[in-house]
Amino acid sequence: MIMLKKFLVVVAAMAMPSLALAQPANPAPAPVTKEVAAPVVATPAAAAPAAAEAAAAPAAAAAPKSMDGSLPGYTPMRPDYANSVGMPKAKEVDFQEQFSDNGQYAKWINNAILLPIITIISMFVLGLLLWVIVRFNRRANPVPSKTTHNTFIEVVWTLVPVLILLGIAYPSLDLLAKQFKPAPADAVTIKATGYQWYWGYTYPDHGGFEVVSNMLKEQGDVAKGERFRTENDGPKLMAADNRMVVPVGVPIRIQTTAADVIHAFAVPSLWFKLDAVPGRLNEKSLTITKPGVYFGQCSELCGARHAFMPIVVEALPPEKFAAWVKAQGGTMPGAEKPAPAAAPAVAAPAAAAGTAPTTDTAAAPAAAPTK
Amino acid sequence: MTTIAATGTDLHAHDHHDADHKPGFFARWFMSTNHKDIGTLYLIFAIFAGIVGGAISGLMRLELAAPGIQYLQGWASMMAGKEASLDEAYHMWNVLITAHGLIMVFFMVMPAIIGGFGNWFVPLMIGAPDMAFPRMNNVSFWLTVVAFIMLLGSSFVPGGTGLGAGTGWTVYAPLSTSGSVGPAVDMAIFSLHLAGAASILGAINFITTIFNMRAPGMTLHKMPLFVWSVLVTAFLLLLALPVLAAAITMLLVDRNFGGAFFDAAAGGDPVLYQHLFWFFGHPEVYIMILPGFGIISQIVATFSRKPVFGYLGMAYAMVAIGVVGFVVWAHHMFTTGMSVDMKMYFTAATMVIAVPTGIKIFSWIATMWGGSVSFKTPMVWAMGFIFMFTVGGVTGVVLANGGLDDNLHDTYYVVAHFHYVLSLGAVFSLFAGFYYWFGKMSGRHLNEFLGHLHFWVFFIGVNVLFFPMHFLGNSGMPRRYPDYPEAFAYWNGVASTGYAIMAVGILIFFVNVIWSLLAGRRAEDNYWGEGATTLEWTLTSPPPYHQFETLPVIK
Amino acid sequence: MAGAKNHDYHILPPSITPILGSFSALTMFFGLVMWMHPEQFGYGSLVFGLGLLGVLYTFFAWWSDVVTEAHAGDHTPVVQLHLRYGMIMFIASEVMFFVGWFWAWFDFSLFPVPLEIVKDAETHAFTVTNLIGQEGAAALMQWPPKGLEVLDSMKLPLLNTLILLCSGTTVTWAHHALIHGDREGLKKGLLATILLGLLFSSIQAYEYLEAPFPFAGLNYGTAFYMATGFHGFHVIVGTIFLAVCLVRANKGHFTPKQHFGFEAAAWYWHFVDVVWLFLFIAIYIWGGWGAPVHA
Ligand code: HEA
Ligand code: HEA
Ligand code: CUA
Ligand SMILES: [Cu+2]
Repeated sequence: MIMLKKFLVVVAAMAMPSLALAQPANPAPAPVTKEVAAPVVATPAAAAPAAAEAAAAPAAAAAPKSMDGSLPGYTPMRPDYANSVGMPKAKEVDFQEQFSDNGQYAKWINNAILLPIITIISMFVLGLLLWVIVRFNRRANPVPSKTTHNTFIEVVWTLVPVLILLGIAYPSLDLLAKQFKPAPADAVTIKATGYQWYWGYTYPDHGGFEVVSNMLKEQGDVAKGERFRTENDGPKLMAADNRMVVPVGVPIRIQTTAADVIHAFAVPSLWFKLDAVPGRLNEKSLTITKPGVYFGQCSELCGARHAFMPIVVEALPPEKFAAWVKAQGGTMPGAEKPAPAAAPAVAAPAAAAGTAPTTDTAAAPAAAPTK
Repeated sequence: MTTIAATGTDLHAHDHHDADHKPGFFARWFMSTNHKDIGTLYLIFAIFAGIVGGAISGLMRLELAAPGIQYLQGWASMMAGKEASLDEAYHMWNVLITAHGLIMVFFMVMPAIIGGFGNWFVPLMIGAPDMAFPRMNNVSFWLTVVAFIMLLGSSFVPGGTGLGAGTGWTVYAPLSTSGSVGPAVDMAIFSLHLAGAASILGAINFITTIFNMRAPGMTLHKMPLFVWSVLVTAFLLLLALPVLAAAITMLLVDRNFGGAFFDAAAGGDPVLYQHLFWFFGHPEVYIMILPGFGIISQIVATFSRKPVFGYLGMAYAMVAIGVVGFVVWAHHMFTTGMSVDMKMYFTAATMVIAVPTGIKIFSWIATMWGGSVSFKTPMVWAMGFIFMFTVGGVTGVVLANGGLDDNLHDTYYVVAHFHYVLSLGAVFSLFAGFYYWFGKMSGRHLNEFLGHLHFWVFFIGVNVLFFPMHFLGNSGMPRRYPDYPEAFAYWNGVASTGYAIMAVGILIFFVNVIWSLLAGRRAEDNYWGEGATTLEWTLTSPPPYHQFETLPVIK
Repeated sequence: MAGAKNHDYHILPPSITPILGSFSALTMFFGLVMWMHPEQFGYGSLVFGLGLLGVLYTFFAWWSDVVTEAHAGDHTPVVQLHLRYGMIMFIASEVMFFVGWFWAWFDFSLFPVPLEIVKDAETHAFTVTNLIGQEGAAALMQWPPKGLEVLDSMKLPLLNTLILLCSGTTVTWAHHALIHGDREGLKKGLLATILLGLLFSSIQAYEYLEAPFPFAGLNYGTAFYMATGFHGFHVIVGTIFLAVCLVRANKGHFTPKQHFGFEAAAWYWHFVDVVWLFLFIAIYIWGGWGAPVHA
């Protein structure tokens, strides 16, 4: 059945259907989330300067401040530098090691199928050119032939690429289908919101608290007493003060949206990239196979500090994840009532961007987000 | 065919043996209605823009040569005339890449390949005395000039976090609307309006000329492939650019008049902009390469001393690329959250384009096969083109797979892909055409040795420059980043070294051009010999001010 | 053979209009930027006006030249064919321009977002809220947005449709009269078309004043006004084009055999007409279906 569907898509594409409107279908918005609610009475561009200024960083919540991001019952995991897990490796030419099933499949499709094919095609073309140089230069072949047609060879060089492409299309469409398998109903939902220029992670299944995640600066670049990046946090430009902590081995549902301009939530070692678009809720499922810290970076041009809003995903075994949730003042589903919001709500940055403050957001009693 | 009026006579620029009188300096160059003069203006303009765009990319490679912010803050301070903040320095990066992308696309490649070579050689190749609308031809040129002025001007006015438009050449909303306050982005948008209008008028001119001004006997199926390529390109321009015009007009409305096209809070849809942009943008990339295909076809046939292999297949492959090019646009949007069915469709449809493109690649090789090939400078560039374009094309096929693009999108892998098809594809075809026709246009030969030297230095330079970007993309380096984690330092350093090598190549090119203009050997009518069979070779070098007063008759 | 010209193409002398027009366009657009950014520049409207004058002068001078050349006999049959091709392709590009505006309309209408619209009874100001992901959102996913009053397509828009259809016939009347050498018929037909065009524009302007939804801050309004507004602009351009033809007809221009200036105007008018039919169906009738109608 799936095969038939794939085949039909390929055939349809070959026949070049005049595909009309291409409007992405959104996954159904999650029920619990609150979203941009903008009282818009003509928002001319003039309203924006304030936003640009004010959105710098959310105000610090009055919460216990730790210099290493640790909380009661939770200490940030040290990234695995030795094996370059979840981070780029110097002089690397290949993809990062993958820590999701789909990522491994995708990397395999590239390295085992596409890369060899395109290398062979390129080398084949190069080889033919070199042969021309050797065999058909003016000295070697003073009298040119008159051949301008050969139906057989023309059919061959049309059909062979078609067959190659069909061979690529099969695993490729299979991969797409797998990537799009919706998360099961009990998957853990995490909503990632892009702001200029940091990320907010909301946990609607766990009481709806939001973790605000800013890039950690270097020691020399922060005021005295402020938190700065250490090797425990991650590589330079990739480390964040508060991580997006998720359970390992179980399906999670990542939703993305944005408060101001488009950002993109991307983690190369999980083969995951999804745009965060204002007014939309994009969604994709992900299962991380191994506990660890996985680094990513914003991947859609979003203004001046586009390069400085990293994404750090920390995958923990379920018990440790539960402890982290508790430390955030959230609850595990199935537990009783959510604990009363632990700290005054983080001044929702969305407000600065002309959107209404969220109401059901319990604050992350985390370290103050650094500017 | 025609005999030639002034063969053997001295055809210096101010010669009076010409078939007719040339206007005075101002009238000739500022009020021109002559396709060859306008073509020359376009080429000079494109070279100037190429220097600007190439210099900007030099600044970019300088900054990226090592991790950390090295120069940006200084440059931003220079532009602003006061100490720039770190954010303004970051913004400066976005301004640089935006200007680089827009200049290279709209003010270097398009003016050179369509405005320059198209203007010069479409009328000559079809045996026409000029273009169908000579005056409109000139307005196309001057609109391009004022568009460029507008774009350069935008760098001196506020654009949000700092001076200039920092939206990327794609000008995505809402970064380009609510995200960029100040006049800079408005100026960039109007620059695109002006350049777009210029191109639409140019497209109308080319289509009319090609359909109605072919010499007696020159049927569509006898037209040189370069003319075919310009014809297909003109259709792409005609149908794609107006959609861009609408899209950027929507940006203006949102920016200045409270419009809600892309304002999500008011029901607008930011992704709508991307659909409209790429509905234009994908055909645009074929606009940049198809005339190059045409040039390569002429050159390969000339130097193999053989007619093009599979002429009809070559012509209709371009038509097919043009048509299919209109239904694949959303392969630039795989990560916007589109449905799986759409991803599958756009994956499959995009890969289809590899088939007609493959037909072209193999037909070029088949043209050389059995030929008696001489490796003059244009031919060397053409062979470089065929190989490098293939490398760029096959990485496009990788990107076409939506499931893989989920990782590669907006990484340096994409940057590598499109520089292989542009900076090593379109630009190689430009140089090939330039070496092929320079003698015809100027009446002077370029130096063969310097030409080969230029090729090899440039070829090595750009490969060292762009090949490592595949590795950076694989291991996850995002695009449009002024600074990067330590792990990416090595390949970035290599790439910047490649830039330096490439720059030496460009220098050799300019030495060659200047030397040849001053002291080059005079070019004969048909200096490539019997392989060169199209009509421009029946004329003097340079051709008379008005050629084909008597129309040639094609057997 | 040199100098023995055996072709009928139009080789033009140098002309100042292209460069003049280009720099005028630059002035105009830059003036517009200045005008839109009073915080940065002063005198924007002045610069804009200056540029606009230059552009208008360019159009005038350019087409005057074209008319003069036509009378000088430069427009041989093949040159007329060029003009035909040129006009057809210009219209094709205009069609693609409208594709963009329709695309926006269909994007919004086929994939509606949950908008909550609150209208202040006193000030008539709109408050628009996008409730995506919130409770009750599903009930709001409709087009036109809930709580919005639309124009009654069966009243003035229908009238306007009839007016334009009618004007399509009057311009054909003028054309036939011209072909049969009936100069009075030509003038009458043209005049009738122009008047119908003006009537259309007036009704459209009146409707804009009456329309129950704003331009700014709401997708429906912005998409509606921009699509119909660009059409309206084209109607005005077409009307001017026809008016020029009327002036020329009065001066005795056009012959039954050669009158491409008139034909171009007529084609353009038909194009504007067809665009309206699409607007009428897609925006007024289908795009307003089911919504309460403004009294
Ligand atoms: C000249 C310009 C040019 C050309 C010709 C192409 C050609 C192609 N491009 Fe490229 N592309 C760009 C310029 C160009 N592109 C630019 C500028 C961008 C980035 C824009 C931005 O975001 O800023 C881009 C981005 C881009 C993307 C989006 C990536 C992303 O942002 O995530 C994709 C995805 O599908 C893509 C695919 C293709 C394909 C399949 C082709 C095909 O046409 C290639 C076909 C050619 C070959 C395949 C080689 C020859 C064929 C053979 C030898 C036959 C045998 C081959 C096989 C069987 C495979 N391109
Ligand atoms: C035709 C298009 C073109 C060309 C030729 C180039 C050429 C080069 N580009 Fe590219 N580039 C783009 C189009 C092009 N680029 C686009 C569209 C983007 C994306 C922008 C965005 O993200 O928005 C981009 C982005 C881009 C980036 C990524 C920036 C980022 O994401 O942060 C980088 C980084 O190194 C780069 C570098 C270079 C370099 C070093 C060259 C060198 O090869 C330059 C050397 C100079 C030349 C090769 C030109 C010489 C030509 C002439 C002098 C004219 C000759 C004329 C005749 C013969 C008639 N470019
Ligand atoms: Cu956020 Cu880029
Ligand atoms: Cu594309």
